[in-house]
Amino acid sequence: MRSNGFNRLAIPMLVGAGVVFAQTAPLPDRSVNINLPNDSPVSLVSMANQSSATPRGAATVLDLHIGFTLRNDRSNRIHGVMLRVVSQEATLGGKGSVTYPSLNVGPGETFLVRIDMQLVRPTQVSDGHMAQVDLDGVIYQDLSFYGPDRLHSKRYLTACELEAQRDREYFKKVLAQGGKAALSKEMLQSASRQQQKDGAPLNVRVVRSGPVVTNAALPPEHPEQFAFVRFPDAPVDPIEGSAQISGNEARTPRIDVMNKSGKPVKYVELGWVLSDASGKQSIAASLPSAERDLYIAPGKKASVLQETTLRLFSGNGQPANVQKMTGYVSQVEFTDGKIWVPNRQNLENLRQVVAPSMEEQRLSQMYVNKGLDALIEELKKF
Amino acid sequence: MKHPNQSTLALFAGGDLGYFARWKTERHLANCDLCGAEVASFEAIREISTDLAEVPEVSWSGLEAEMKANIRLGLVAGECVRMADAPLRERRLFTGFRAAVALASIVTLVVTGVVLQTPAPLMADDHMVVQGIDNGIEVGGRGSAFRLMNTGATNVTFSVGAQGSMGARYVDPKTGYITINNVYAE
Repeated sequence: MRSNGFNRLAIPMLVGAGVVFAQTAPLPDRSVNINLPNDSPVSLVSMANQSSATPRGAATVLDLHIGFTLRNDRSNRIHGVMLRVVSQEATLGGKGSVTYPSLNVGPGETFLVRIDMQLVRPTQVSDGHMAQVDLDGVIYQDLSFYGPDRLHSKRYLTACELEAQRDREYFKKVLAQGGKAALSKEMLQSASRQQQKDGAPLNVRVVRSGPVVTNAALPPEHPEQFAFVRFPDAPVDPIEGSAQISGNEARTPRIDVMNKSGKPVKYVELGWVLSDASGKQSIAASLPSAERDLYIAPGKKASVLQETTLRLFSGNGQPANVQKMTGYVSQVEFTDGKIWVPNRQNLENLRQVVAPSMEEQRLSQMYVNKGLDALIEELKKF
Repeated sequence: MKHPNQSTLALFAGGDLGYFARWKTERHLANCDLCGAEVASFEAIREISTDLAEVPEVSWSGLEAEMKANIRLGLVAGECVRMADAPLRERRLFTGFRAAVALASIVTLVVTGVVLQTPAPLMADDHMVVQGIDNGIEVGGRGSAFRLMNTGATNVTFSVGAQGSMGARYVDPKTGYITINNVYAE
């Protein structure tokens, strides 16, 4: 009898243990912690958690899917939010951000933000927080800002908002001047461009430092000069620049720029388009100025450089040799906090390689999914 | 008294010991009845073996028939004896503790197989690497990865920051909001 009883217990326990060990296990709500300051302009209304942990080989994959419903507790309309997401495990060292530009959240209204992330770690799942979500910045309709700004969310959200305003104004103008037919045509052209662009994007790996050893499989490194697209109204002009090229690697880009405006500049970001030999595949990179205390007085020059290596791959994973590099000024921040972004005319020549703004993408998708009337209603809200 | 071992006595009985060993054994046997009896039994066996070797004519076919008959008889007798018991093949092979041990071994084997079969996590470079992956972007290295996913999104635009970051932007199919994910290698 004792033996039979032991069988009845031991077998299900062992089978159950095997099943649990090999399959996904749900993670509790406390897996992700959201941290809002005491004076935060948004408050947490509710949280939905669908997180789980799955053993995969010697590692554990943590799938964190959290939805936060936040409420705007200020009297100003929120137009953008950036959340900073960090892994709680020091050895993992992961850091990311989730940004929601082009919002239009009125006082007392709520909005949903979703964090979909994965942590792959060689260790077992420990109890407690896996990830921490912090509010890094909130931008309002009038471009005023709140937040600790650890990820430079003020500059980022402001630039996004300026681009969104630029594109909304453009489409409003098209509607006013050409009517519904003209707006519809613009939206179709935009959607078509986005589809074409997605046809052959290059994949890229970014390595923070340069190569440790020389790769014998790569041809000898040589400096490759940038071709520049200059904008007449840009406050900063690129003068000359190059990067070290070797096969599919582009390393240590450096571009000299000159401040041609009447105000001192504290940040410059250049667009960097890398194309393969055929010119059909490309990737758009940004090259921000590295110095924290950059200061370019009116009429003066400075260098924008980064100690990184980009490795390009085609869609099928084969290395794609870098053949051509194009640079243009994509963002400038003055010492007074004002930000400049290119206008739509400036970007006309780069349409083939540079994606449209997020706002244009959102509006064209709205047109495709909900129709012209819904798009017009959306434009009227801003 | 120390007695010679069995092999020495057997060799003595067969006359195969060397001179000195034979002399020593003879001296021992003169005073030890026990070993003498042992030697006598070895000698008797030897004589029987000799007799067997001299068996003149054996009817092998008759011997075979007799052995088969004996085997059949044995099987029938065995069945008669086992009539009251359950048939042998219906008994459980693994019961009790042995079943638990067997199952635990199987589970361990399966789990080990699963662990070894699945590929190890990304180890792309010795450095921290940011890159696009299926449905997301990641920063990783040394067996760890931090990923922001864009599952379910279409029309995702990837961008690269030369300072060591990667971005993925898309319109969230669930909320309708523009979402921009960024991971940083620093």
